[in-house]
Amino acid sequence: MNVTDPKHPWSRLAAAARTAQPAAADTAPYGFATRVVALAFAHEHRVVSLFERFSLRAVGVAGLLAVISLAGNYSLLSAGGPTDDDPPEDDAVSLLLED
Amino acid sequence: MPDDPPPFDVPRCLERVRQHDQDAARELVDHLYPLVIRIVRSHLPRRVPEEDLCQEVFMKMFTRLGQYQGAVPLPHWVSRIAVTTCIDHLRAQKRRPEFRWADLSENETKVLDNVITNANDVPANDALASHELVHRLLGQLKPEDQHVLRLLDLEQRTVAEISALTGWNQSLVKVRAFRARRKLRKLFEELQRQERQ
Repeated sequence: MNVTDPKHPWSRLAAAARTAQPAAADTAPYGFATRVVALAFAHEHRVVSLFERFSLRAVGVAGLLAVISLAGNYSLLSAGGPTDDDPPEDDAVSLLLED
Repeated sequence: MPDDPPPFDVPRCLERVRQHDQDAARELVDHLYPLVIRIVRSHLPRRVPEEDLCQEVFMKMFTRLGQYQGAVPLPHWVSRIAVTTCIDHLRAQKRRPEFRWADLSENETKVLDNVITNANDVPANDALASHELVHRLLGQLKPEDQHVLRLLDLEQRTVAEISALTGWNQSLVKVRAFRARRKLRKLFEELQRQERQ
């Protein structure tokens, strides 16, 4: 016998189960909405705060790296870079033309 | 005679919630609670309190509210979150309890024995025992299959309604229903065999 047959035990059990009324109320318990909303909004604020904190930290780290690279290359920067008149030392074309 | 209260203005409420209005958020929770609790109660995994599950559903709803574009009605969108949350909990439990005669109450044993051995309808005063038995039997199925049969056979929803509520296409709903019913048929055959012994 198929389960969808009204005489099948499952169909008769399901039909009886449908008539059982739920005992509990279906309105939110007192304070439920307040608690859920407070948690949801606090969670949202925490996510934003984390983003802010990591952004600021990233700015700090980037600034520190910039200062370190400037300090490391200070001698090159203070000596001045090569002028346009000076051919690059390892440029094969300019070496051939000079010859 | 007092006038009926005005219908709940969902778009206006959502707009206020997006502007971080906590009063509007509370109104939204109160408005959607009956829908969510109904889904949670009908799919409640073992050992998970219904209020905890409801809270989880609403937390997910608020977290994902930015993604809601209004393509489907809000209750459908929220019911999908509720269904997915319940199914995730059911999946997490992994091991499904074995259906054993010894675990049934005296009344449940009597009702099951009656439906297996004769063709009479279940008496009205055995509705609660039937309800409990139906949930025990559904507990033997995969979470998604349980969900489809609950909606089809207990809530008497159509395939189209189930598709809208779950986001599964209609063919998938029919396949799941077919698979669930085949498993139930085998389960009843096994119960009848045990009854004859």
